[in-house]
Amino acid sequence: MTNFDAPETPGGRSRTRVVVGHLTLALLGLACVFPIYWLYATSLRRPNDVYEVSPLPWPLSVDSYRTAIDEVDVLRLLLNTTVVAVLTALGQLLTSLLAAYAFAAWNFPLKRVLYLAFVGSWLVPFQVAMLPNYVLLHQLGLLNTLSGVIVPNIVSGLGVLLLRQHLDSFPKELLEAARMDGRSSWSTLWMVVVPNLRAALAALGILLLVNAWNEYFWPALVLQRHNDVLQLGIRSFMSATEGDDWGPLTATAGLACLPIFIIYLLLQRHVVSGFVRSGLR
Amino acid sequence: MSRITVENVTRRYGDVRAVDGVSLDVAHGDFLVLLGPSGCGKSTLLRMIAGLVSPSDGRVLVDGNDVTEAPARDRDLAMVFQSYALYPHLTVERNIGFPLRARKQRKADIRRRVAEVADILDLGALLDRRPRALSGGQRQRVALGRALVRDPGAFLMDEPLSNLDAQLRTATRTEITELHRRLGRTFVYVTHDQVEAMTMATSVAVLNRGRLEQLGTPTEVYDTPASAFVAGFLGSPPMNLLDAEIVSRDGRLHAVAEGVDVPLGLDHPSHEGEQVRRPAILGVRPEHLSLRPAADAGPAPEAGGVPNGSAPNGSAPNGGAPNGGAPAATLRGSVRSIENLGSEEIAHCRVGAAEVAVRARRPAGFTVGEAVVLTVRPEHTHLFDRESGRRLVWQPDRDPQVPAARVPVAT
Repeated sequence: MTNFDAPETPGGRSRTRVVVGHLTLALLGLACVFPIYWLYATSLRRPNDVYEVSPLPWPLSVDSYRTAIDEVDVLRLLLNTTVVAVLTALGQLLTSLLAAYAFAAWNFPLKRVLYLAFVGSWLVPFQVAMLPNYVLLHQLGLLNTLSGVIVPNIVSGLGVLLLRQHLDSFPKELLEAARMDGRSSWSTLWMVVVPNLRAALAALGILLLVNAWNEYFWPALVLQRHNDVLQLGIRSFMSATEGDDWGPLTATAGLACLPIFIIYLLLQRHVVSGFVRSGLR
Repeated sequence: MSRITVENVTRRYGDVRAVDGVSLDVAHGDFLVLLGPSGCGKSTLLRMIAGLVSPSDGRVLVDGNDVTEAPARDRDLAMVFQSYALYPHLTVERNIGFPLRARKQRKADIRRRVAEVADILDLGALLDRRPRALSGGQRQRVALGRALVRDPGAFLMDEPLSNLDAQLRTATRTEITELHRRLGRTFVYVTHDQVEAMTMATSVAVLNRGRLEQLGTPTEVYDTPASAFVAGFLGSPPMNLLDAEIVSRDGRLHAVAEGVDVPLGLDHPSHEGEQVRRPAILGVRPEHLSLRPAADAGPAPEAGGVPNGSAPNGSAPNGGAPNGGAPAATLRGSVRSIENLGSEEIAHCRVGAAEVAVRARRPAGFTVGEAVVLTVRPEHTHLFDRESGRRLVWQPDRDPQVPAARVPVAT
């Protein structure tokens, strides 16, 4: 009987495999989503209910958000964080693009060594560069400024690495055609390379933006006197003496997550296609 | 107006010489084809002319001006790439207009010029499409259009037809020839396809391992190949090349090998006991051989067994004084296989240790394994030096007192 209806193809055995696979993935997905859900659930409970463990926050309350906005200037922090993250990501994108273009389009002495140095900078742990950077910022008088947060992060080894991979597979004949057609290297970059690299740039841009947005340690080090970015604003609800104020803390954290969610939802297609393609090419 | 001169140009990559001391002079309006197998340096040479690769040695001149160090955009040359290199993000119209925009021309002028070019190449209906929505042939025409739009002094083309199917290739070949005739511009065209070279070129430069083997009209390179390489590269099937020895017998020169005895039609008044022996390569085109069954071979027949009625090339491959009255040469062997090409047949025969292809009109009426005699007229034989591969030309002796000098001399 089995000879007829159960060949060793998508039949019985592989169906259980599919079910088990999906169950595993669903569990993993839940494990990922749960903390975020719990963050928002807690932020929407009434201030007295924050230690409740009922899965649904009921009755709903926005008191925590109100407290958060009253106590720290969330809007200003949001703006500052946006400025820092966007400028850092754009700066990294630009420097990565220029460096990767140079590495991919020209041969010059010490090219390999320089490239290794670029990539090596990505492998150096943050803690190693932290102190020299801090001292330099102090000498430049940039401590406690947003510029101090941005400037040392304006180059990303990872960005150079990823964009060079993309540019290496970029057809060299297109660059040569642009040269024959009378374009300079600079205008070839903007007229030919960038328009054809949009997916990769979008994907990398989002990656860099999320990284910059989530940065906590470096801003905490540079902005010691005031909590000028959102991630540090969260800190003000943590107190050794009175305990942590979970309601406004989760509310601020929830707000801090929103812009990234929105960006991801809007550009999801670009992000996925950019990374998938970078793997396939 | 562009005359392109290449003077002793060399390009080294590490220890490898991709192009090795090549000199060329392409007159205005010429259609020069750089022909050779892959890796022979023809594309590198074209890129050096274009300004995309700089030579390690030598000079490139356009209209007498040294442009060796000049950037590509200052050379007034346009290039069509093998992959077409169309900008994927731009429409056909913007692709064609790209070189003009780079030169900051007025928008109205660009639009007018693009329309003109689109008209010439029949691209009018496709102007709003992007390259990925075009067929191979259409892309090829857009690439041509982008070169045409600037009205450059010369066109450089790097195997522009190699990505097209056979039918389209033939059609586009004719179009490019027509374009060349109409524009009267200089064309430098790289290909490994000898049919393209023979049909399109006004002159052909055959390259091998970075060196220029021969420069001449298509007829010259085909009829009087300057080296065994050129002889073995041109023609389909190419010239049969057999190792042979030149000997003098009964006062005349013969090329002999196993199964081969080819009178060269050259007098060599032999002195008592003298024997000239010189190793050489004997070359015969498949269409200059005629096949006969070995049974009725008998003594060597009268000359004139040219198959297909194809005109003998008329040149005197042995340079000096071919003796028209010489008997036809004979090669003895057996048929190994027969290829039917529709209009004709190619018989592959074994002669001694060598394989010899013979072109014959259908039906030739031979069977595999049959013993055959191949004949060729002396003036249709070619001789090459075994060492250098260069063509051997008979030079009449200036001083008849020195008989030993009466051997073919390498050019």
